[in-house]
Amino acid sequence: MADITYGGHAPIALDGARKVRGNLTEARIRWMILAIVLGFLLVGGRLVQLGLVETDTTIEGQTRDAIQASRPPILDRNGIEMAVDIRVPSLYAEPRRIINVDEAVDALRTVLPDLDPQWLRNRLSGDKGFVWVKRELTPDIQERVMRLGIPGIDFITESKRFYPGMTEASHVLGAVNVDNQGIAGIEKYMDNENVALLQELGLARGNALAPVQLSIDMRVQHVIHEQLTDALSRYQAIAAAGVVMDVHTGEILAMVSLPDFNPNEPATALVKDSFNRITSGIFELGSTFKTVTLAGALDSGSVRLTDQFDARFGIRFGRYTIDDFHGKHRILSVPEVYKYSSNVGTIRIMQAWGKDNFRAFLTKVGLDQRIPLELPEMRDPVVPKEFSEIVAATASFGHGLSVSPLHMAAAVSAFVNGGNYITPTLYHRDASEAQALYKPVISPQTSAQVRYLMRLNALEGSGTRMNKLAEGYRVGGKTGTAEKVVDGRYSSTKVLNLFASVFPMDDPQYAMVMLVDEPKAENPQSGTTAGWNAGEVTGRIVSRIAPMLGIAPDFSEAVDANLVPPALRLTNIQ
Amino acid sequence: MIQKFNIFLLIVTIIALTGVYTLKFSIEHTAGEKVALEARIAEQEAELSLLKADWAVLTQPGHIEPIIRRHQDVLELAEVKPEQFGSFSDLPMRPAAPDAAALNDLFQALEAGVDPIGAILEEIE
Repeated sequence: MADITYGGHAPIALDGARKVRGNLTEARIRWMILAIVLGFLLVGGRLVQLGLVETDTTIEGQTRDAIQASRPPILDRNGIEMAVDIRVPSLYAEPRRIINVDEAVDALRTVLPDLDPQWLRNRLSGDKGFVWVKRELTPDIQERVMRLGIPGIDFITESKRFYPGMTEASHVLGAVNVDNQGIAGIEKYMDNENVALLQELGLARGNALAPVQLSIDMRVQHVIHEQLTDALSRYQAIAAAGVVMDVHTGEILAMVSLPDFNPNEPATALVKDSFNRITSGIFELGSTFKTVTLAGALDSGSVRLTDQFDARFGIRFGRYTIDDFHGKHRILSVPEVYKYSSNVGTIRIMQAWGKDNFRAFLTKVGLDQRIPLELPEMRDPVVPKEFSEIVAATASFGHGLSVSPLHMAAAVSAFVNGGNYITPTLYHRDASEAQALYKPVISPQTSAQVRYLMRLNALEGSGTRMNKLAEGYRVGGKTGTAEKVVDGRYSSTKVLNLFASVFPMDDPQYAMVMLVDEPKAENPQSGTTAGWNAGEVTGRIVSRIAPMLGIAPDFSEAVDANLVPPALRLTNIQ
Repeated sequence: MIQKFNIFLLIVTIIALTGVYTLKFSIEHTAGEKVALEARIAEQEAELSLLKADWAVLTQPGHIEPIIRRHQDVLELAEVKPEQFGSFSDLPMRPAAPDAAALNDLFQALEAGVDPIGAILEEIE
């Protein structure tokens, strides 16, 4: 550059050239910086734009996770599946991506002919991002729809609940809706506990959830379901129900209520009359309640097993007279009162004990509170707060107060297991856990006396028909024939029959309550009282389930002789 | 000097570029394989869930009982009666030892050619 010199003008020219160059470079750099800044602004702007876009991951208001969420399998106590998840394809459409709606409708109807064309056309037109077409299809249909190759139509794999036992354990399990949320039974309870939360968080996907084990024994459940179905037709009853409970742990081994529903078709759960009669049905339990009255009275000490009560005449309360159904009309001993199911005798026993003590005892054995069982379908019992003379009298033989059959099963369990009340449960509970929850209600000595009374009733009282069908299994129990209230009066033709039983009596393991609603006589020779239906059903059930539960028959007479309390062994009262 | 360094940088850049792109494509390929595998697993899990459900139906007591009732007569099946149960204490004691002397006599007689049982049979005939 130094050689570009033009004499005297050179310095100016040099100066100017450098300045021009310098200015030019500066301008170039400025433009460059501007371009780069613009470039970055563009990138940054796009980033912000992308960041602001909210991608719609929901499917008709639900997250994808919630739809694909699975539920834990439910097992019975022996590991037999009671509820499992199956993965099924569901057909959906993205209407905004469908080019020719009519073509798509026609094509889809070749595979799914039962879809209404008009409904489908409306469904597929519009600008929605997601609509269900048909949920829970078979893999075969999925294959055929895929082969049609319609744009904007696709499948998503959903979890569907399936109950392999069909109707058998419907009231225990409940049901789920199409979105896999529990709507009844233990399914609903599980949702309230924790499954719903897991599903929301998207954690409940795949088969990773640990199975839930119930206390139900599907074999026992099956036998009871079968026998009660048989009872419905045999006695032309309108309903039947039954529950089996472990007297030591409070675990419920079976719970059936007929008519029932199929949990695989949740809509059938809403049919009238299919409510759970064991937990959400409250009834006047009739003479089965005498077990409660006698257990309490004997435990208080104010009544002894050797005492005698006058049952010669009915008892008058104002306008009403209470008398016995099959009255003996003589002086009865306590075991005779129970054996002949004497209303008058029971009232006298209750009066000797005191009506307020009686009322307090009902609270003690939990007969006036809701049982905290793991089912949402529970109902509060109806027991008057205070007992007047007449209310106490009727209550002593099971009228004028309504409790659920489950209450009776829990009370009877407590009376025979040594006197400890244990809350029933549908979950697995072992003996040590149960012992921590024991609440003593009667003494072990009274418990032994109740065992004797219940066995005596099976041998000589109203339970003989039952005992004949379950010979060898040492069943003891009490019948209850409660007249139903029709138009404000007790009806003598419409009755609710119960049988509360325990087996084997020499070492009580299981308590059962069977209920037959409005039975008719099986044949002209038979009757309609509880011994003929609820009793016989109990007998048939015990003969089937006792071997399953590991109870060996024993025919020796010493077993029954050993049950007789020492006080009665010497002085044989007739 | 600078020129050489520039060429070196250019080569390094090209190598790095190739390397990064190779890595990118291989990762994309692996990711694709993973997606395919996941789809297969999901498909098999779905099939498995159906098979498990099938098994659960087939082992259900309510499913087995009608089958037993159907074949009850042919297979001569019946419900167990309480009388059919026994316990170890019901078993009789082991019988007294066999009469060794009498057996010895019998064997000796047979060896000697005399058949007491044969003689009895002949008598009958």
